[in-house]
Amino acid sequence: MEEHGLTRTIDVVHDVLDKHIVDRNGREMGRVDGISVELRGGAPPRLAEVLIGASVLGSRVNAVVGRWVQGVEHGLGIGEERPVRIRFSHVDEIGDKVKVDLAVGETGSETLERRLRTWILKIPGSR
Amino acid sequence: MSDTIRLDRVIGRTIRTANNRKLGRLEECRAERRGDSWVITEWVIGAAGLFERLGVGVRMILGFDAGSSFVARWDQVDLRNPDRPRLVCSVEELKRA
Amino acid sequence: MKKIFNLLLGVVTSIGGFVEAGSISTAAQGGAEFGFALLWAIAVATIILAMLAEMAGRGATVSKQSMAAAVRQRFGFHYQMIPLGAELIIDLLLLAAEIGGIAVAIRLLTGAGFQWWVLPIGLVVWLVLWFGNFTIIEDGVGLLGMITVSFIVAAWQLHPEPKAVATGFIPSIPDHDLTRYAFLTVSIVGATVSPYLLNFYSSGAIEEKWTEPDLWINRTTSYLGMGFGSIVSMGVLVTSAVVLGPLQIRVDSYEQAALMFVPAFGRWAVTLFACALGVGCFGAAIEITLNAGYVLSQSFGWPWGIDKARRDATRFCTAFTVVLLLSVLIAVVGFDPLQMTLISVALTVVIMPLVVLPFLVLMNDHQYVKQHKAGPLANGFLAALTIVGALMALVVIPLEIFGG
Repeated sequence: MEEHGLTRTIDVVHDVLDKHIVDRNGREMGRVDGISVELRGGAPPRLAEVLIGASVLGSRVNAVVGRWVQGVEHGLGIGEERPVRIRFSHVDEIGDKVKVDLAVGETGSETLERRLRTWILKIPGSR
Repeated sequence: MSDTIRLDRVIGRTIRTANNRKLGRLEECRAERRGDSWVITEWVIGAAGLFERLGVGVRMILGFDAGSSFVARWDQVDLRNPDRPRLVCSVEELKRA
Repeated sequence: MKKIFNLLLGVVTSIGGFVEAGSISTAAQGGAEFGFALLWAIAVATIILAMLAEMAGRGATVSKQSMAAAVRQRFGFHYQMIPLGAELIIDLLLLAAEIGGIAVAIRLLTGAGFQWWVLPIGLVVWLVLWFGNFTIIEDGVGLLGMITVSFIVAAWQLHPEPKAVATGFIPSIPDHDLTRYAFLTVSIVGATVSPYLLNFYSSGAIEEKWTEPDLWINRTTSYLGMGFGSIVSMGVLVTSAVVLGPLQIRVDSYEQAALMFVPAFGRWAVTLFACALGVGCFGAAIEITLNAGYVLSQSFGWPWGIDKARRDATRFCTAFTVVLLLSVLIAVVGFDPLQMTLISVALTVVIMPLVVLPFLVLMNDHQYVKQHKAGPLANGFLAALTIVGALMALVVIPLEIFGG
């Protein structure tokens, strides 16, 4: 990552991919599992969205694995909100972690955690 | 007309020259902030694959840099078929990393 | 003063938590078949473990990231998925073997049948994790584990010839069964340098909230704790060598291994062995289960921590619960725990180069360890270990077939 006056240059794989991503309050949202790029004929490709989700990771292994994980997510009832897509324009800071100017609740990144919580709260000692 | 591709699926793929020779793998891309957007300016093409990310470790064990790298401008790489990235210029026009 | 106390506690719990199914079975077999000749293997394996654990703890203390998190971050998911996948498979098998070991221990104590003990044992492991916190788990496991010191006591009571024992620390070629000897050497390394231990140790540094001034604690606990812990392993080997060796018993089951306590402890032999085996395996089972939660959460970026309220880390809890459940199912099927131990130990050796290689990079990466980088000696060690590890990985499967 280098600073050149007003512009900043990043190495996308080294600086963004697989990094922790946090919301504007510093709360964990997961990791950058994937990045989508918009190809524009005649103009440089633009980083479109940060993607978070197990199916995204799965498709990095193999397209078939990705679809299978998507199936599992649908089965768990979280399919519609996955993968979490965050437009790159929301990325505030790229440092040790990637910081976005959204709050965790505005994205679907906590859905599975919350769903499991409803079951876990039924177990005594879940504090 | 714009297409959206997955960067993480393109990274690591072999890029071929205009006459279908293997050049190397797309290892990294450099992006620049322009206004509200981040645009890709360059692609790093390396022969070393995974080793690019391993950096110092491999150099230490193997004692040398595994393979040479090129840097291509965004307009020198054709990603319309993300499974088969293609160079649209000659290899001589590329910068060496 | 408090720090000294915590340090001593850390060392003591490391001793108590050192031996488990893998180390007991490989040391028992090694002693029975080759006398003291494999003591050097335990020593070398322990040095390797201590160095790697110290590095794992150092990196986690400085960067506040565990090994698994750092590997994902620095190498990306494509690299990580192989060691991660392999580690999960090994952990499932090893956990099933530890649970099986506890079931055997209970059978030795009560005479009552084996397979179905696995279910309540799994439940107890889960309950300890569900209601416990890091301090209770670490200290509890370690202190209870002090019963494994009975292996040292037994070895001492048998008055082995000191010169013969000392010779065991010099690597030598045996006069019989070279493939078997090589297999056991490699297995001892695999049993000692378990990948789960390294991530567990680094996660522990974060759970305990160590900071850079605590790095000396990390170093001391790694070297002293594991150093003394290895003496327990050596106790197993020596006792087995003196008692089972002359009887030409090849240890094919834990029941046979229990016989090693007879001369030293008489009618308490089986009870003591069962307790030592059971407690050792129980501690390991807890750590492996917990580590499964750690490694999955850290790789995928979920909130994690046994000190967190369970409802604040639901995916973490679900992860370790599911892994425990799968291992219980494997154990219930009734595979022989000793065989499962040996297989998981062999697999550990196969992936060792992939586990060690990240250390070489991370320990020189300023982002991870800041100024606490590995010196040339440590780098040389890691490079050598990666290469030796790769060689061992290549031979372990053929050795398992021909010498296992």
